[in-house]
Amino acid sequence: MIFDIPKLSAQSASVLIPVESLKANAAGSRMPEIVGSRLTPGIAQRLADICPTGAITLDDSRRRLTLDYGECTGCGDCMAAGEGAVTEAASLAQCGAARAALLRRWDLESGAEITSDDAGMRAAADELRALLGRALNVREVDAGSCNGCEQEIIATTSPYYDLERFGIHFVASPKHADMLLVTGPVTRNMAEALRQTYEATPAPKLVVAVGACAISGGLFSSSYAVEGPVEKVIPVDACIPGCPPTPAMLLSGILRAVRESSRK
Amino acid sequence: MSAAGPAMAATFADVTRLLQSPRVRLVAVFGSLDPDRRVRLHYIADEDRREYRRLECLAAARVPSAAAITPAAAWHEREVADQFGVVFENHPDPRPLLFHENWPGHAHPLLSGQTPVEVDRPPTEYRFLKVQGTGVCEVPVGPVHAGIIEPGHFRFSVVGDTVLHLELRHFYTHKGTEKLFEGAPVLRAPMLAESVSGDNCFAHAVAYSQAVEAALGIAVPPRGAAIRLIGLELERMIAHIADVGALCGDVGFTVPAAYTARIKESLLQLSARTVATRFWRGIAVPGGVKRDLSDEAVAALRAGIATAAGDFAVLARMVLDTPSVQNRFETTGVLSQEAARDLGVVGPAARASGIDFDVRRDHPYGAYAGRAVEVPHYHYGDVLARARVRIDETRISADLIAACLESLPAGDIATPVTSDGNGEAFAAVESPRGELAYWVRIRQGRIARCHIKSPSFQNWPALPLAMPGNIIADFPLINKSFNLSYSGCDR
Repeated sequence: MIFDIPKLSAQSASVLIPVESLKANAAGSRMPEIVGSRLTPGIAQRLADICPTGAITLDDSRRRLTLDYGECTGCGDCMAAGEGAVTEAASLAQCGAARAALLRRWDLESGAEITSDDAGMRAAADELRALLGRALNVREVDAGSCNGCEQEIIATTSPYYDLERFGIHFVASPKHADMLLVTGPVTRNMAEALRQTYEATPAPKLVVAVGACAISGGLFSSSYAVEGPVEKVIPVDACIPGCPPTPAMLLSGILRAVRESSRK
Repeated sequence: MSAAGPAMAATFADVTRLLQSPRVRLVAVFGSLDPDRRVRLHYIADEDRREYRRLECLAAARVPSAAAITPAAAWHEREVADQFGVVFENHPDPRPLLFHENWPGHAHPLLSGQTPVEVDRPPTEYRFLKVQGTGVCEVPVGPVHAGIIEPGHFRFSVVGDTVLHLELRHFYTHKGTEKLFEGAPVLRAPMLAESVSGDNCFAHAVAYSQAVEAALGIAVPPRGAAIRLIGLELERMIAHIADVGALCGDVGFTVPAAYTARIKESLLQLSARTVATRFWRGIAVPGGVKRDLSDEAVAALRAGIATAAGDFAVLARMVLDTPSVQNRFETTGVLSQEAARDLGVVGPAARASGIDFDVRRDHPYGAYAGRAVEVPHYHYGDVLARARVRIDETRISADLIAACLESLPAGDIATPVTSDGNGEAFAAVESPRGELAYWVRIRQGRIARCHIKSPSFQNWPALPLAMPGNIIADFPLINKSFNLSYSGCDR
């Protein structure tokens, strides 16, 4: 019976994905990447017009294009309309970054990306890491998600990703948690439960908003039944964009959030 | 299967007559506003598993409840009462459904163009049914659960370990999705449909697209329809394989649980390689599909699905042959056929309780037309029967995909959709959880009203009926054997 398992598949060897291949790997997430050299004012205008979630915008002078990964659901419309100026991102360094760092800007004249002051992004105090060591207890809270993010969070525990090899466990109670992984636009019916879950989590604690809905409200930001993004209800330390983020993005995001969170 | 055009104008007497027939299963009750902003009630029922009958009545402020005729109507009517403020007379359970205590009593969001005002009254208490007697304890669970699952509240009344009564309280993830559809251009709204229930996102996008196509009179090219079938069956395989693994996990049999996680992930990665999205998001669109399958993709799908189905078949046989699994699955969480019929239960849960119904066979749509679909069903109604239905259906889905890949039609994958059409229509698909139906009304190329009837909304009320007499420790197992979507139900 149970001894039959090794015979199950011809390729029964380990499927574990090595850490180096996981790092910021965004394959399959349909997140966009801008090819600055191909950007023209005309294409930029079309991208801003076509983007259904407002993730791509132009500034008032129409000289700068902004891409907000926190709003993007990866619908792919910009790739179809971008004439080569938008491609599918193979990697996404923004997983696990603070909200402001999810925004990228390009100058339309030069095509160059405008690099911002990344003070908020710099590796800060190691105090939290020192406190946690490499054992991180995570409590997942669905605050109104469609369950797409949950599917991918569960996948991080599969033999391909094996989150436990990093010392990360999902725990059953916020009282055991160091980190809350929050998904979904916070619904009116879940806001109080989310607040109480946050209260029940002992300090020091990290809150990571997972997915477009949790980061910006996503498609649901204007709904009568939604309070808004997670940061409207509890403080958020880091974000993992995507709709939903892939398991690789989740893993690299969680690891970076721990590494970079500054002293509270 | 779909049905276009306005429904038959009817009176409530007609509705009563239709629903009293033992050959009829209620599919949905919902409201819409007519051009004079009066509320109209729509009733959709499946007659003889052959034809979807649609009736429409003008609603007065008070209307007769159909819940006494068919309990399947009870939640639908509570939803209409919340959305439109219609009062159903003699309803057995008139408590609010969508809105919790922190909502104003007069919030009927689909009645007006505006969002409801802020809370202006002290929260009221929701009254759970009280079970009284010596030694009866109440165990509240949720909305935040122990696992990585969606939020919902369960209130158990137990004596010792034995459950006497279970009451559900859901709609924690209510996101006002139907309201968000209003005004959305028809080609944009598949994104919203995909976000109703993320693990069945392709079924939602296809059901929505079929309703739009029926409303606007658009035919999907054969290649587009075939690619939809492949996506729908692959989604079913992934869901069923994960469910069987989760059932093993809930009885402490973690080895097959890990193996199914591996098989599921291999199929998600196969999707990412062949259609560039793990969950087939952004593929279905009114008119067809957005992405074609290359010859390499066809070959990769054929090989990957055959391997996954073969591995799962070996694993499933081992699971079913294991005495500790049989011991936990058998006679646990029995849903009687009578209860399933009364509540209009659909999908694997219905087929495990002896109801031989599957939209793919009984109301064929798209590439299922003219294709024989085998429908397994069992009559025990326990966890084992629900596991067996999923195991059988995984094999059948793999066979359907293989047959479809074998003879993939050539040609276009989509028919262009003009942006200014009008119409209304109803369409249903068999999602992994059962019959999933969309009804849309389109004005000038935009959605004027969209109603989503998800299988989870229909099946959740049946779960408490499978609990009494079981021990509370078996609840996760029984709940998982139904595997209903909270977000799909709450919308």
